[in-house]
Amino acid sequence: MSQLIIVERLHKIYHRHQPDEMTALQDISLQILAGEVVALTGPSGSGKTTLLSLLGCMSRPTSGSIQLRDSNVAKLPERFLAKIRRETFGFVFQQYNLVRDLSVLENVMLPLYPSDQSLREIKKAATAVLDQFELAGMLKKKVKQLSGGEQQRVAIARALVADPEIIIADEPTAHLDSELAQDLLQILAVLNAAGKTIVIATHDPSIYQSSLVQRRFDLRHGRIVEEHSR
Amino acid sequence: MILHPGILALLCGSLITVLVMLLASWLGVQILLRWDMSSSSEEQLLLERKTWLVSTLLNYALGFQIFSVVLFIFTAEDIHRLFVGAMCATGSLNANLVGWLVLLVKGILLFAAAFWVVLNRLDQRTEDCPLVRPKYLALVLITPLVVLDLYLQWRYFSGLQPEVITSCCGSLFSAGGDSVASDLAGMPVRQAMLLFFSIIGSYLVVLSFCIVFKASVLRHLLFIVSVLMFFVSIGAVISFISPYIYQMPSHHCPFDMLQANYSYIGYPLYVGLFVATLYGMLPGLCQPLRKYASLRREIDSFEKRWLWVAMAGMLVFLTISCWQMLFGSFKLFGY
Amino acid sequence: MLRQLKILEFTLSSLLRRKYKNLSLITVYAFTIATLGSVLFLTHALKMEATGSLTTAPELVVQRVAAGRHDLIPTAYTEVISKLPGVASVTPRVWGYYYDSLIKANLTLVGISSYQGDLELLEGRLPDNAEECAIGRGVAIAFGPAIGDDLVLEDSGKSRTVFKITGIFRAESNLLTNDLVVLQEAALRDFFSMDQKLATDLVVQVHNQREIKTLAKKIKYNLPDTRPITRDEILHTYDTLFNWRSGMMLAVAVAALISFCILAWDKATGISAEEKQEIGVLKAIGWETSDVLAVKFWEGTVISLTSFVLGILAAWIHVFAFGAPALVPLLKGWSVLFPEFQLTPAVDFYQVFVLGFLTIVPYLACTVIPSWKTAVTEPEYVMRG
Repeated sequence: MSQLIIVERLHKIYHRHQPDEMTALQDISLQILAGEVVALTGPSGSGKTTLLSLLGCMSRPTSGSIQLRDSNVAKLPERFLAKIRRETFGFVFQQYNLVRDLSVLENVMLPLYPSDQSLREIKKAATAVLDQFELAGMLKKKVKQLSGGEQQRVAIARALVADPEIIIADEPTAHLDSELAQDLLQILAVLNAAGKTIVIATHDPSIYQSSLVQRRFDLRHGRIVEEHSR
Repeated sequence: MILHPGILALLCGSLITVLVMLLASWLGVQILLRWDMSSSSEEQLLLERKTWLVSTLLNYALGFQIFSVVLFIFTAEDIHRLFVGAMCATGSLNANLVGWLVLLVKGILLFAAAFWVVLNRLDQRTEDCPLVRPKYLALVLITPLVVLDLYLQWRYFSGLQPEVITSCCGSLFSAGGDSVASDLAGMPVRQAMLLFFSIIGSYLVVLSFCIVFKASVLRHLLFIVSVLMFFVSIGAVISFISPYIYQMPSHHCPFDMLQANYSYIGYPLYVGLFVATLYGMLPGLCQPLRKYASLRREIDSFEKRWLWVAMAGMLVFLTISCWQMLFGSFKLFGY
Repeated sequence: MLRQLKILEFTLSSLLRRKYKNLSLITVYAFTIATLGSVLFLTHALKMEATGSLTTAPELVVQRVAAGRHDLIPTAYTEVISKLPGVASVTPRVWGYYYDSLIKANLTLVGISSYQGDLELLEGRLPDNAEECAIGRGVAIAFGPAIGDDLVLEDSGKSRTVFKITGIFRAESNLLTNDLVVLQEAALRDFFSMDQKLATDLVVQVHNQREIKTLAKKIKYNLPDTRPITRDEILHTYDTLFNWRSGMMLAVAVAALISFCILAWDKATGISAEEKQEIGVLKAIGWETSDVLAVKFWEGTVISLTSFVLGILAAWIHVFAFGAPALVPLLKGWSVLFPEFQLTPAVDFYQVFVLGFLTIVPYLACTVIPSWKTAVTEPEYVMRG
């Protein structure tokens, strides 16, 4: 398998040179291969989410490099990061982060608005993804009317609509009961089988101990303390 | 005189543009002083975000400026009744010395702001933003022009004396006077047409060559031809295009055609001319910028589009200005 | 282009989602525009009315000036002027002002045999003997009589004169007939105790419009104690007066606009946590700063254009359907007997353009910084919950 992401000596310091300076990540180096499922674990405040947001091109590191394929994304201006997020990543957030007043269909269409596709094509793509998750019957429903499990599936559908190469999931099971968590694992397994690279931040053992996760980085105080591979 | 509604609107609009530009230059100076592309500090990130604010401010300022030019001419048209002897906008502009100066400054501003917006858009598409310094320097230079625009408008409108007897387009643009304008109006039609059509012809030829060939010298040539074409066309409008539009041999006013009586035909005419000039100048203007690898890619990908837009603008201008010449019953020759 | 259209679509739907917040903004905005619009429309309509009625006014009027003031003119001047080349006719007019202490208003009394103007908008008929009169609509309303009733006027010698009303001018137009009382010339001379050899002024008709200026100069040269007034000069005065008036009121109304802008600023700055979350989500899933700025731009444009259309409609209805009840008191200064006018709808593109420039530009300018602040929301924000 080829290397997809190479992280070298990554530091992230918030509010640098200010009284409330806070070091979130220190000297992180890791590699993620294409098609791999990687988990980031650790107690809250250990830097999982920060690392995840850096990997997902949501923010820029204070120093160090992140090599995504051929380009060093650590130095790119913000607007290019947005393009990369749009084209390479699919995000599943802890709080789902759906727009509650929008319908299921509209939520899933959102990532494609800035693309070159026409509105009709976007609608078609969104409907197709929703169909896979058996949500085709509730396209017009507002998100706030859905159950937790349904919202989770809409969130995953949204992450997949642009057919991303890498899926980033932040505590995806935090608000799910164990049955729904198992469903989620199955979905992730299917996606992985289809060739998607998956990076999950979690402290849920049922996730990181599952057979799906091939490697795990354990973080404490912004450093990787342990790397487990299967 | 200040309390005319149109004048009030113009001054308000200009004041707002000045404020917008002052804010933009203040941010521009910060960016100029502290910009460091290689840094990933939070300060640099904040500056990067501020560039968005500056470009938004400039886009708005350009938009305001476009409407402001239209409103200015409209207002000059509306207040002509206040001046004895004035029969259209020309008369109002003649009412004191500053009138034409305001129009000139507005014209320069329009071009300057449009260039800035286009270059900014190019620059923002690159990863390394090579134009940051020249861009914000230019911004700091445009701002005094905007202030000057406000000041001149104030001077013009507050200096208007309704009792003053002014000359109107009839006397300014009549063949008998001794001003540049009347020289233009008095120019023999045949020579004027010859000059106009030869420069338009060369513009079209150079433009087509630019579309086909990639030579840099052609772009420079197109730049020069565009500038010449702009001034010659303005001259041509005064000299013979307007008489054709008005169907009156001695009516040379370049503003009347913006009125409802002539079904606002002047707007597409001037917009076409402006677009043809602006986009004709762009490729030449961008030649020196090709030394930046990142910009070269962007310029190459946009240039074709600019050239075609220039072509479209020229065709609109040409169609409207020559329609009456070709198909109208009015004949200027013989007068 | 396509991208902008999609973003516009998104903007529209998100405006609809927050309809209550946006409706309140649009209402206030439209109200501000309606206020400014009413001022502009009203003064413009009045100006059109006044200049319109002046088109039937004589091209050249000659007054006599004594001690720097308007004085009665000897009718003998008629012959001097009519001998000037280019003069078609010279007619002396007899008219004057009359202050009625009962209704506390000024009336204009006009002698009929010399008044050559257009008097067609009359119900009933013009007076044909010394005991009759025709009156303007405003006079009729102030005194309360109808055709056939009597109008009692008191002359300078405090003796009362009774006139029988034979006609009332129709209300359709106009500013000129409203405070009018038309009498026979002889009756008027009697009433004002005016000498037969004198008139209020002379109306000069010319053959060629272009010669008016030259002719005015000649009259002034031949009769140095006269003051020729051309219609154009009156038009200038009207223009200046009305521009000044509307400008004055606009200046006041701009204050309303400024306070609106403060409100708009406040609305735009204080975005709710929910909205901030939404923008964060959009940024996180790949929207660029410029896309969010575009959303905000379209939002501002849609809101201001909607409010603009609503405001203009409201102003139009206020001024032309109801006669601008909210503004008339402000305008009353210039004539005590202000006409119960029925304004002819007269709106030109220029008025609308001025209004748009005056109201949309400040609003858009106000929203730039708040939009930018929203647009640069960090995508990471949503990861932190």
